[in-house]
Amino acid sequence: MAESTNTPQPIIELKDVSFTYASAASDGTEAPKPALSHITATIGTGEFVGIIGPSGAGKSTLASVMSGAIPHHFKGTLFGATLVDGKDTCDITLTDISQIVGSVLQDIDTQMVASVVEDEMLFGLENFGVPHTEIEGRIEETLATVGITDLRDREIATLSGGQKQKVAIAAILALHPRVLVLDEPTAALDPASSTLVFDTLEEVRRQGVTVVVIEQKVALLSKYCDRILVMDQGKLLLDGTPREVFAHAEKLRSIGVDSPRVARVYNSLAKDGLLPQGKPCLTVEEAAAIEERLIPEASRTAPAEGSFRQGSKHVVAARPYAEGAEPVVKLRDVCFQYPNGGATVKDLEMSVYPGEMVAVVGQNGAGKTTLTKLLNGLLKPSSGEVRISGLSTKEVPTSRIAAHCATLFQNPDYQLCKDTVLDEVAFGLELQGIDEEEAKRRALRVIERFGLPEKESPFSLSRGQRQVVALASVVVMEPDVVLLDEPTSGLDYRECMTVMDTVSEMANRGCAVIMVCHDMEVVSDFAERLVVMANGRILDRGATLDMFSDTSLMKEAFIEAPQIVQLSQVLSRTVSPAFAGVSQVSGIVDLTEEMVQRG
Amino acid sequence: MVNVIDYVPGKTLLHRLNPVTKLAIAAAIIVATFLSDSYVMLLGLLVLTFALGFYAKSQGKLFSLMKLLVPIAIVMLLLQTAFVRTGEPVFLWMTSTGLITGSKACLRLLGVALPLILMLSVTKLNDLANACVEVLHIPYRYAFTFTTALRFVPVFSQEMNAIMEAQCARGVEYDTKNPIKKLQLMLPLCVPLLVTSVGKTDATALAAEQRGFYLRTRESSFKRYPMAADDKCVLALCVLLIALGVLF
Repeated sequence: MAESTNTPQPIIELKDVSFTYASAASDGTEAPKPALSHITATIGTGEFVGIIGPSGAGKSTLASVMSGAIPHHFKGTLFGATLVDGKDTCDITLTDISQIVGSVLQDIDTQMVASVVEDEMLFGLENFGVPHTEIEGRIEETLATVGITDLRDREIATLSGGQKQKVAIAAILALHPRVLVLDEPTAALDPASSTLVFDTLEEVRRQGVTVVVIEQKVALLSKYCDRILVMDQGKLLLDGTPREVFAHAEKLRSIGVDSPRVARVYNSLAKDGLLPQGKPCLTVEEAAAIEERLIPEASRTAPAEGSFRQGSKHVVAARPYAEGAEPVVKLRDVCFQYPNGGATVKDLEMSVYPGEMVAVVGQNGAGKTTLTKLLNGLLKPSSGEVRISGLSTKEVPTSRIAAHCATLFQNPDYQLCKDTVLDEVAFGLELQGIDEEEAKRRALRVIERFGLPEKESPFSLSRGQRQVVALASVVVMEPDVVLLDEPTSGLDYRECMTVMDTVSEMANRGCAVIMVCHDMEVVSDFAERLVVMANGRILDRGATLDMFSDTSLMKEAFIEAPQIVQLSQVLSRTVSPAFAGVSQVSGIVDLTEEMVQRG
Repeated sequence: MVNVIDYVPGKTLLHRLNPVTKLAIAAAIIVATFLSDSYVMLLGLLVLTFALGFYAKSQGKLFSLMKLLVPIAIVMLLLQTAFVRTGEPVFLWMTSTGLITGSKACLRLLGVALPLILMLSVTKLNDLANACVEVLHIPYRYAFTFTTALRFVPVFSQEMNAIMEAQCARGVEYDTKNPIKKLQLMLPLCVPLLVTSVGKTDATALAAEQRGFYLRTRESSFKRYPMAADDKCVLALCVLLIALGVLF
């Protein structure tokens, strides 16, 4: 938030750092691609720095260089110098480095060494020889900073994702590092928990710890960071304050990085000469204030129904499902309880028609995943009935429902099991009894469409491409229903659009799409109907915009409506009622320009 | 996820004992089980294990393990009776000696597996590792390897579950009733599971090193694990138990 003007004392300095993984060199005849090339950057003491970039850009590698894991843990060729607190990381041991730089890994389950929170905290403190008289104080202080004092005696296995993340942060923080490096700490979290994690980091920074965080959620980065580094293909592309960085929204988009939607509104208006270039607004409040100044009082009347409601290509026109068509998915009074008394879902009622795209939103633990498992038959309802294409999931085995209802899982690695992409994509068809040749032929068609390498092993591909392979094996099935469980998590903006465009194309052809998604921007771009869940119940369902506009409903479900919806709500109150119901960047821009021109 | 090796919190004497003593109890029951050769003693040891389990309120773990072990034990019994054909014929192909050796082997199988689970359910893995380092002078890296391996068991079983669910939703017949077919379908999945587990282990090693793993010494542990009077009494009882095993 604060724009730093004076340069603080550097704590980490990267001088022309290049790195190539040893594993990249061994296979392949051509010169291996460096993961990092010629990075020069300085992290100042007390800064809050965000690192963003498309997948495969070298973000995690950069974090490893800063935390000393490169050169001490990962093998490869390293050029240049990395200074941590003035010392070259090549000259001191990893243990020495980690007393200055604490790092929180991407997969926090692997980081945990204990089964109870207190023991987890003790591990590092004991190892680094913190005097035993001080340990108690440190634990109490750190737990209080992170806000989890009440979790001290809890078993880690029973904690939620957000709580675990906080424990991981606390365990590192207790060691009093001067820098905290985090690799995608909110990747698995819902928006509310993500914000809480960033609030915690903000608190940590207030206590003088430098924070470096790799993150995909641009709205969070722009709200909390002093500085953002943008990486692409191993290079440092941009380095500046959030305002400076997001002024280059076009450039960011071309490499696959999203920008806050309000920044995109500003940039579009600036491009058309209505606002000065270069310092975009980053929050809804700022955007509303700017609009209010921009639009003259006289021209605030509503223009005739125009194109602004349609906005970008994404805007979802009501799909032409036939009046009175039979719903392809039908849930009636569905209840389910896990046998060991875990979460329950109650009284789920829902119908989905062919060609519809429905999003299920809610907090972690609201019962969304349970709902998807009830839909694809992995769980059978304890009472009530789930019907997919007329088949009751209670009566038909899961493996037969698969022919009608294909699922794209959050983690593609659970789905992949074959040696080549071609076998992988054809596998689902073969399982349904289609003969091998026909299956391969259909698979090839889909593979070509996505431009995937058919002979490669799926496991050698990048995370984003593996997700696309998994998607291809869903598309090839031509199912009646597609279930998406967090289809966009772990993907960059470009990959996310590939996935979502494909899915909405399937919907256009009459396939019913149900997606569970934390990214409200994606939801508002693609889904025409919303099912809002909390505590195992469906709170409400209806048209996407109606749901997002219902402030009390959003609050009850702990969801934050997308920025543009929030902005149009504010503007419809302060500027003109014409803004009500606009849900796209281009809609706001068009309407604003029209009003300004009339004024 | 209820896991067989999860810690069951409690405040009983069994919970309060030194982890090393608990290890000794389990070891004593196991050694006695191997040494003894009478039904009375073998059943007695099982009853003792269950009595301790009820006392520590971790009987649930024991029963869920029994569900797994009993089928194996029955298969073992049948095999034993097929191999050991001396003695009086009793029923079909079974002979008296076959039945006796077979049933004792079954009881031993249960008697060996259950005490270990009982002991793990009343001990936190970290306490076990720290106490082994402090009392038994085991190098920490071995203790850490052991506890980490145990800690990964539920992580991997969750992973395997997720893979099976994903494959099932694709149409692989994991919901088949035929166990041999199911096993055949599961085998190809071992490779992806192995790939992810190597990755996870590597990350764990890195994370541990970044938290000063190599600096740890025997004095590092914040919690102390002295051998109290209770522990000494229990250890004496353990010796007695082994002696009983030799005698009967």
